This record gives sequence, C-alpha cells and structure tokens, in this order.
Amino acid sequence: MTSEVKTHAIDIASMQRGESNLNLADEQITLQVKDLRLSYGEKEALHGINMDIPKNRVTAFIGPSGCGKSTLLRCFNRMNDLVDSCNITGQLLLDGDNIYDRTVNVADLRRRVGMVFQKPNPFPKSIYENVAYGLRIQGINKKRVIDETVEWALRSAALWDEVKDRLHESALGMSGGQQQRLVIARTVAVKPEVLLLDEPASALDPISTLKIEELIHELKDDFTIVIVTHNMQQAARVSDYTAFMYMGDLIEFGATDALFTKPEKKQTEDYITGRYG
Amino acid sequence: MRYSVSEWTKSGSPWVWLNAGAVAICVIMVVGLLGLIAMRGLAHFWPADVMQATYTQGDQSRRIMGELVQQEMVPAEQLRGAGIQVPDGVEEMRRDLLKVGNRDFSSADFVWAMDQGISDKTLPEMIMVAERLEWGNFYGYLREVRESGETVARHDGHAKSPEYLAVWDEFQRRIDRVLEIRDQILTIEKHEIGSINYELERLRLEERSLELEQSTDAEAYAEIEARRAELNADYEVLQQDLIDLYTKINRDSFTAEIADGREVEIDIAKVVRAFLPNKMGTGEKMAHYGVKLWEFLSDEPREANTEGGIFPAIFGTVMMVILMSVLVTPFGVIAAVYLREYATQGFITRLIRIAVNNLAGVPSIVYGVFGLGFFVYFLGGSIDDLFFPEAKPAPTFGTGGLMWASITLALLTVPVVIVATEEGLARIPRSVREGSLALGATKFETLMKVVLPMASPAMMTGVILAIARAAGEVAPLMLVGVVKLAPSLPLDGNYPFLHLDQKFMHLGFHIYDVGFQSPNVEAARPLVYATAFLLVVVIALLNFSAIAIRNHLREKYKALEM
Repeated sequence: MTSEVKTHAIDIASMQRGESNLNLADEQITLQVKDLRLSYGEKEALHGINMDIPKNRVTAFIGPSGCGKSTLLRCFNRMNDLVDSCNITGQLLLDGDNIYDRTVNVADLRRRVGMVFQKPNPFPKSIYENVAYGLRIQGINKKRVIDETVEWALRSAALWDEVKDRLHESALGMSGGQQQRLVIARTVAVKPEVLLLDEPASALDPISTLKIEELIHELKDDFTIVIVTHNMQQAARVSDYTAFMYMGDLIEFGATDALFTKPEKKQTEDYITGRYG
Repeated sequence: MRYSVSEWTKSGSPWVWLNAGAVAICVIMVVGLLGLIAMRGLAHFWPADVMQATYTQGDQSRRIMGELVQQEMVPAEQLRGAGIQVPDGVEEMRRDLLKVGNRDFSSADFVWAMDQGISDKTLPEMIMVAERLEWGNFYGYLREVRESGETVARHDGHAKSPEYLAVWDEFQRRIDRVLEIRDQILTIEKHEIGSINYELERLRLEERSLELEQSTDAEAYAEIEARRAELNADYEVLQQDLIDLYTKINRDSFTAEIADGREVEIDIAKVVRAFLPNKMGTGEKMAHYGVKLWEFLSDEPREANTEGGIFPAIFGTVMMVILMSVLVTPFGVIAAVYLREYATQGFITRLIRIAVNNLAGVPSIVYGVFGLGFFVYFLGGSIDDLFFPEAKPAPTFGTGGLMWASITLALLTVPVVIVATEEGLARIPRSVREGSLALGATKFETLMKVVLPMASPAMMTGVILAIARAAGEVAPLMLVGVVKLAPSLPLDGNYPFLHLDQKFMHLGFHIYDVGFQSPNVEAARPLVYATAFLLVVVIALLNFSAIAIRNHLREKYKALEM
C-alpha cells in the first residue's frame, strides 16, 4: 500500500504538520508504562514495555500486524480485562496512580480514558442518544446540560453541521465516516483525559479518513491522544510522537519527526522504508 | 439434448425437486387441514333447508321433517344383520342422517333413514325452525300464538298465505318481546345479583376472619351486620323485579304441528329465535349466518356446550396465554442473561444448558402433575393457610385456577425462551458492548441499555415459540384449573377484577369436552370443527401480534445486520 513510503522517508517528513523540535524530556507525562508484561494464557504478547505518553500530544503506535500495538492500547483503559485468559504484570500509571491497582473502579477509569474502535460501533439509538449515552450513565439527567454537551461534542467532532437537523434519527442511517466521528463525539462527550484511537480510519474511505485526521489535530488541545495505525503516512501526518513496536517489544519511541527522518534502530528504518512489515 | 443420469444428479436438480416436493407436500397438508376444519366447522352456521318427506319402512310409512346432515353407503351384510330387509343382489345401500330435532317430543333428534325408503321429498316454505334454550332445535308448522292461554292468532294450512304470514309476524313480535325481557333478567341475575352475592361472600369472609382472630370488636360486627342488611334489602328489591319479569316472560306460548301430526304447546320464553329456512333468500341466509357466527364468538354456551357460543373459552385461552407470556418472559430472560453473561462458562453451565434443552422435551402431562402436586396442593395450600384461613375448608388458591395454569405453562415453555434469548445475546457484536464499556458503563448498565434492547427481537422469538406451544396445550391444564363450564369470567367488574384463583374455560379442552364427553355426539360434531378452527385462528392471531412486535423491534435494532 505504501509505494511512496518505499521510495523516500523524506517525503513523509514533509507531509507532517506537527510541531518540530519536540523533545520528550520537556513534556508533561500523562501515562507511564512500567515494565508491562501481558500474556494470553501461556503466550506472552508484550515483553516488558516501558514508555511515557506526553500530555496533550498525539502519540502514534506503528508496527506490523500482531506486534502488540492494539494490545498495549487496550491496556490503557483495561479493555483486556474482558478477555478471560489475559494476565498482566507491571505498572501503568495515569497521573501517577497505578490503574491496575485493586482499588481502582474500572468504570471510572474508562470514563477518564476513552476509546474509539476500528469499526464504527454506534448504538442502535438516535444520534442524540448516542452522544448522551455516557452522560446518562454518569447520572446526568438535566436536559439543558445534556443538550449543551451533545452540541459541544458534535461540534468538537466536526459533525454538528451535518447532523443538527436530524439529531433524533437513528445513528445507523449515517455513513461510515459520520458514524466514526459520532463515536468520537460520544467518547469526547464524557470529557476524558486520554483518547485512545484503535485504527480509527482503517474502515473508512480517503475523504472520511482526512476528516478524522483533521479532527485528531483539533482535539489534541484538549486531550492526550494515543492512536494505533498501520498506515505510516497517517502516523506521520497526525502524530507528535511515534512508537515503533515489533513482536511485543517497543523498539523505538521518540518525536515523529526524528523517528521518520533519522531512525536510531535498524529495525525501525527497515520498517518505515518498507523493507518488511 | 440428452443428459446422463449422473450428470443430472451432479447438476443438483434432483435435490431441488426433492426439496420443492417436500415443501409442496407440507403446504398442501396444512392448507388441506385448515380447509377441512374450516369447511366443516363454518358450514354449521349456514341455515340448511328443512326437508319434508314420506318415509316407508317395511309396510309402515310416516311423515318426516328434518335437515339432511350426511349420507353414507352401508354394506348390505351389515344392514341384514341389523334386521333391515335388503333385496338380493344389492351390495350397498345409501343411508341418510337426518336432524329431526324435537328431542322433547320424539326419542332422538338425529335419525338414520334408508335413502330408498324416502319419497315425496319437498321443501315447504312454511316449515319453521325454532332454536330453544333447552331440548335443541324444534321443527314444525306454526299453528297458534297464545297469550296467557288465550288464542291470539291461528292458522291451520300448510301453504304460504297472507293469513299464515300474519300469524308468523305475530309470533316474531312476541319472540322479540321475550328476548328483550330475557336481557333484563340476565342483567339483573348476572351483574346486579352477582355482585351482591360477591359482596355478601366477602362480608361472610370478613366476619369469619374476625371470629378466627377472636376479635371482640362489637362495632366491627355491627358494621358487617348493617352492610349485610343493606345488601339483603337491595337483594329483596331485585328479587321482586325478577319475579315480575319472569311472570311477564312466561305469558306467551305457541303451538305447532310436528312431523307425526301432533299439535304441541311450547313457551315462547324458551325460544331463542325462529326462522323459515326454506323461505329465506340467499341474502337473508347470509345475514342469519352472520348472526349465528357472532353468537358463536360472543355468547356463552348452552345445552352442555352443544349450543350457543364459546366466548368464555376464547377469553380463558387468551387470558391464560397472556398471563403465561408475562410470567415466562422475565424468568426466561433473566436465566439466559445469567447463563450467557455472568456464569463462568464450563462444565456446570454446559450441564445446565443440556438440562434446559431436555426440559423442553418432557411430556406436558408431567408438568401438569407437577403443577398439581407442587403449585396447587403445596403452594396453593400454604397460601390458603396463610392468607385465606377464613374461607376454609373451601380452597381459594388450593385448587386449580387461572394463576396455577399460567405458571405451569410458563414452566413448560421457559426452556424455549431461555434458548432463544441466549442465542440472541450471543449474536450481539462484541464491538457494541466494548463501545459501551469504553464510555464508563458497567457491565450491568451495558446489559440494560444496549445489549438487552438489541436482543429483544430474539426474546420475542422465544415468546412467540412459547405462545405457540402453550396455547395448544390441553393435557396439563386439565389437572391445574380448566373446567368444562365456568360460571363466570376470570375478569369482571367485581373487585379485584382479575380473579387469578378462578377456574376457567379453554378452547382446547372445550374441543375435547364437546367432542368426546358430550351426550349428543351428532349435534356436537360440527362444533368440534368450528372450535378447532377457532383455536387455530386464536393461536395464529396471538402469534401474528407477537411477530408484529418482533418485526418492529428488529427494524429498530437492525444494527445486527451490519
């Protein structure tokens, strides 16, 4: 898919529109991963990951299929808890508190760390109710508050103008791209600190993909964003920092600019120049 | 072009033919079955012509009047055995079944007659059919209308004439008057006196419970006594009204000439309707048919269930099925949700699933026995001891009733709902659940707000299957609350309106009762078909409404097809 990528890494760098001269050391850290190991039954999928995710930045995870990037992302809001055979050791600190601590309320954690999935998964309700869902779960029932939040969330997801006249129609009648932005609006509506995006544009057409990418750019002022993608151009376009993973290990992590132009590791270079993956 | 057999087999067409053939046979059988019961059942309400003829048997001949019901060929051997003379060389003879009615004047209302012996068949226009409250139909020529024993109008001929029609009109007017009075009597007896009796019974129970508590509250006793006196006074008034109405209704009578030439007298008070079938045009017959069909659907049964309507049975069936659905749905859904969503999947859940599936295969009479032993005797008996000691020794819930029947059937059908719901839950995409969980919803909130609504079409499928099974069940009901004739509907105007402890009538049991327990088999046969057809229609209607609800839900939650 990435014939351009194969030719010149430089092209990618020129497409990037994140700030240059970023340095991880200067950033405020939201999420800290400390020696995180995860296994499904006997098979270990993550072999001791260490990384810091900076606040109000977009961090992209790239890597070949099965490298564990989605698994790692799902650790951030404990979605892996749903898998029976999953076993996790190590620490994952959100603003300094271990989210795998026994006292942590998982529902509260997921309210702070929202997630958007690969395939749009709107609920079979109206557009309005989809966005209001998270608020209603929190026990917010004041119509005025919900109305305002729904509008704000839909505006944040750049969807308001398209749907403001049909808020009470079923969300299932929207196009795939609109549905995905609706899901983002729904996640944004509960005002999380961190937004996890698991290949959010992989099921969408190029125009919709572009809109999602623009949206990510808008949202990073308010949220810490972590995005998993196997489209390297996309990673280069939207992210400030990029982590390259391979076979359950974090190979390289740094400013996107630097990683794509001057990768430190041979494996990274091979991957972004299309030699494997 | 020629194909070899092996090519033909390979092409798949024999299997298509086989499948199509199987489907065609199924459709033909279903349509045939429905057609048969519909035809036999619905034809019953059509006013048949009444034939008058001379019947010669040996050297005796007599006049007969009646409706031709059925004809059959009988082997000569059998007839000779029965002592009937059959000419040599004849293999079979035609035999007619005639409905001659007049059960109170002749021995039987249905007679078999050899077709050969019937001669001079005519359809006289003035032969009258009168449906009566007792003794079945009456066939004859109207002769005289009497008021308090005095002749008001009389005509002696057999042919249609203006004078005869004038007598007939007089007769019709008096029937209308009787019907009006009977309506008033029914209102008083059923509703007004009925509710007074109900109140009196409640007072008796109240008093009895005071006695059981060994209360010495003189005021309470006095109050009960006062209310009782009041009710008794009301009752006296109504009783007087009733006596007056009965005197009025019994004023008129009529006489008629029956087949053997006798002239008999009958009270008009006993007549439901009288008509001249041979004189009726097609339009009149259709109107008559409509009236009869409506009577069948909306009236109460008469004459050991062989006449009148079956409304209580329709009502009982629908009521029981609705109650059953209301009970079975929450239980089935909760069990399925636990099994699928919360229980740790393993050996025990597998065992439970197998048990649930097998439960669906247990013969229904076994559930009936269980319902009788556990629900009626054990639970019902305990409820009576605890809450209705004043009514004892008469049982309140300690005997079969609407509630126990519904619960027994709910138990019978709960496996179907569990299985269907489980399948529905399994089909909800993981991504939708994750979407909800990722927004900070707990598992329970996800279930309630997203998963269960999306699985609701599957639940409705379960309920539809449950209804289909429960509505047709008869065997277990015979043990836990169905009766052949219930004195009142389980839903009425007396507090608490829905009487769960009451026995009720059911279409399925009604078919059995009318068809096999009736003293008058010939009269009951068409009703068996009509009732069977109605049962099918009722079940179909119940199912269609459930299917309509399901389709509506499906439309709403069609995310599953994504």
